[in-house]
Amino acid sequence: MSKTKKVIVVSNAFLITSGIESLVLELSGMLIDTIFDGSEKKLCHKIINKKPDYIFIDPDSVSEQLIPLLRELSEETEIVIIGIVSKTTLPNITSRFSHTIRKENNKHQLIDELHNIIGNNNESVEDSELLITKRETEILRNLALGLTNQEVADKLFLSVHTVMTHRKKITRKLGIKSVSGLTVFALLNNIVDIREVERSI
Amino acid sequence: MLLEKEMKLADVIHHDYNLVPVINRFGIVLGFGDDSIERICNKKQIDIDFFLTILNAFHDPQLLDTEFLQSFSANLLIDYLQKTHNYYLSNKIPEIESLIEYMISECVNNKDSYILLQKFFEEYKKELVKHIDREESRVYPYVIELDHAHQNKSISGSLLSKIKEYSIASYEEEHDNVEEKLTDLKNIIIKYLPPSENQKNKFKLLKELTILEKDLHDHARIEDLILVPKVVLLENNILQNQP
Repeated sequence: MSKTKKVIVVSNAFLITSGIESLVLELSGMLIDTIFDGSEKKLCHKIINKKPDYIFIDPDSVSEQLIPLLRELSEETEIVIIGIVSKTTLPNITSRFSHTIRKENNKHQLIDELHNIIGNNNESVEDSELLITKRETEILRNLALGLTNQEVADKLFLSVHTVMTHRKKITRKLGIKSVSGLTVFALLNNIVDIREVERSI
Repeated sequence: MLLEKEMKLADVIHHDYNLVPVINRFGIVLGFGDDSIERICNKKQIDIDFFLTILNAFHDPQLLDTEFLQSFSANLLIDYLQKTHNYYLSNKIPEIESLIEYMISECVNNKDSYILLQKFFEEYKKELVKHIDREESRVYPYVIELDHAHQNKSISGSLLSKIKEYSIASYEEEHDNVEEKLTDLKNIIIKYLPPSENQKNKFKLLKELTILEKDLHDHARIEDLILVPKVVLLENNILQNQP
């Protein structure tokens, strides 16, 4: 999974901030960090301190500060600035944003616009990445037999750290974390036999 | 939607069906007519502020009013938490157990897989029971003792040494473990259990587990966000007032 992207919204309009929040929720891996209403002193400084990945700016909320704000922010090349504009926004304002989304658009169009700006965060996972490897199967088998991390490590000549790394990978692939859950998986897939497990208990 | 005392409870339940087990814990059963929340609470002698706060917390987790809930007495809070435990142990868990039992009896092929599922659930149950036992026999009496000492401004030597030895921090971790196994169980059912002849019961099982999962999660949140900070506050107050 890629790192969660931080989002800041600058607007004093509740309908806009809550709209952006619900829109951001539609995209995976993004999180609203802070909402500013646009009247804050040293707004730019505050924004940069938060180290956001994306900023949504409602130009109507930052009338006088807007141009200096955009100028300062544009020096922070890591941050993607997105203007929330409409048909009635003056062209000289709209043109100051390198990216915009339009207020009058429906949900589908807005998601498309955002995907164009930020790319599709849903990385498609290769099927093969979800299959557990031979090594992982071996570790899974030993865990199902009731061995501790340390015992598995000793038996397979690995460090405990390596065993734990494998375990994390197994859990991520299968969605199962507890030893008893892993045991059920191992039994269902004939990685261990029920008689072996009972003996070890 | 913020739930308020003037609302009809019937409308509230129409709006959020998941609140049925919550009102049951307060002794309210279906068939309450068109009464408002306030009226029902008065009739049943339920603390209305407490009831509304809990109801809102389950309805919308963002509405959990931690500061306000901490102002309620430890007795009220613990009485409610115990009723919730009782609901898990006497209703929800047996319901799921008999559903699994029924699924096994109906199974023609893959019976072994469903017996495995049963074993896993039994193990989960053991863990849940152990956790609940520990809370009811150790944590809750301790909180009540603390509250009592705080109100009467008198503290025994044994309580004082308990405060110094006891750690409430391990508490939240245990909740994670209880939740974790339930997630495992759901994944096993959704992804790995071989298809059964009777899909209907599998859906039902998944639904019951999801309801239990949400309820447990909200319950743990109340304990972690209300009970634990309340204990920390009481402990600090008592320790500060020590000569």
